[in-house]
Amino acid sequence: MNATYDEDREDLRYAEYALGVLEADERVAVESEVREDERAAVEVARWQERLTPLAEDFPSVTPADYMWTRIRASLNLAETRSHLAETSSRRLGESLSFWRWLALGTSAVAAACVIALAVLLSRNLAPNAPHVSYMASTIIQDNGQVGWTATMDLQHARMVVVPAKPQALPAGRAPELWLIPAGQKPIAVGMIAAGAPTAIRLDSALLARLGPTAALAVSVEPPGGSPSGQPTGPVIAKGAIGAASESGGNPVAMLARVERVHATG
Amino acid sequence: MGGTQSGEPSELARLLAASARGDQRAFAKLYEQTSPRLFGICLTMLRARQEAEDVLQEVFTTVWQRAGDFDSSRASAMTWLITLTRNRSIDRLRRPGEIPLDEATARELVDDQPSPAAHAHSSEQRQRLEHCLDKLEPRQKAAVRAAFFSGRTYNELATQGGVPLATMKSWIRRSLIRLRTCLEHPI
Repeated sequence: MNATYDEDREDLRYAEYALGVLEADERVAVESEVREDERAAVEVARWQERLTPLAEDFPSVTPADYMWTRIRASLNLAETRSHLAETSSRRLGESLSFWRWLALGTSAVAAACVIALAVLLSRNLAPNAPHVSYMASTIIQDNGQVGWTATMDLQHARMVVVPAKPQALPAGRAPELWLIPAGQKPIAVGMIAAGAPTAIRLDSALLARLGPTAALAVSVEPPGGSPSGQPTGPVIAKGAIGAASESGGNPVAMLARVERVHATG
Repeated sequence: MGGTQSGEPSELARLLAASARGDQRAFAKLYEQTSPRLFGICLTMLRARQEAEDVLQEVFTTVWQRAGDFDSSRASAMTWLITLTRNRSIDRLRRPGEIPLDEATARELVDDQPSPAAHAHSSEQRQRLEHCLDKLEPRQKAAVRAAFFSGRTYNELATQGGVPLATMKSWIRRSLIRLRTCLEHPI
């Protein structure tokens, strides 16, 4: 009698897991049972088979084209992950010095390198071509000097903006970055720092508009950003966007990884 | 796209098996054939496009890396994929503070579930399950559906349904037991 009661109680937990009503810690407990106990695995699978026909009621929604690009890119990273893990500390050191090198006075040269790399590696400039997972832009100021370089990691939907030699702004003013799709109004990307790299999350609206016909621009705004959603101050720098093809262990990818470790948030 | 229909396993199961061996073309085909259904699940459960895209990416990354875990003797390929997608979406929902649940969303969870698939188009299993769901009291059936489509916890479901936690638990537990009996001993 007791055994039956306990078995029922167990089975109910598996049912609750399959339905999806358990709290996070209870889910973890069931998942570890499933891994360790064949009977638990069978019972959970049985409940999933019972309930999954309900999933026929979910609507079908075709994902945006860039999703396949992102997924493919993430798989290429996955292939090199074990190798990366082995040498992660060494690589981190290397890439950190690359960071410092970028942040120091040689930034214009570094920026040129990023672009050269992008050009070297790009075989196809279409933004949604399957192998394009990084894009880069050199944002050049009116005085001809490089203000910032931007690297866009499509796979992780992030952009890293590294200052090169941005011009000094009046007190109480700050640089704001914009994406300008060809023939369209600027879209706010975010406030960027003049003295340190800035990591920016790219939402799907921005991701969808990145490409060789779009440009980046920096305008001078109040510290919290343009109050109107459009540039209010002068545009002080602009840059075209180029595709950078993914390729094992390229520094652009490394930058993106370092950025995720150190500059999240 | 009848996911859980009988006779379906071959094509998707074959694509999964080929993906497990590193066949990129099979994987691309698998994505083409299943991503709309799986993305629909992510979007419905997470109700935020960016979150849904992140989970979809996670799902297909996992599929590529762990397609070998799929055991065709235990589940159909589509059930495996749907389960993976629902589980990843639920994990995302359980992460504290990431997806704010506003009042409007909370109301939608009760009123705005997917409507039952038209019976003419649904699989035999779907029709059998509907037959068993129809034997539950309407409020209990609604609770089971809300749980399945929203991925919310007992606590959240109770709050949204405006009933005590114990009531929500007992509705759903009783429903699950009755569903099991009904599905195993169809009358």
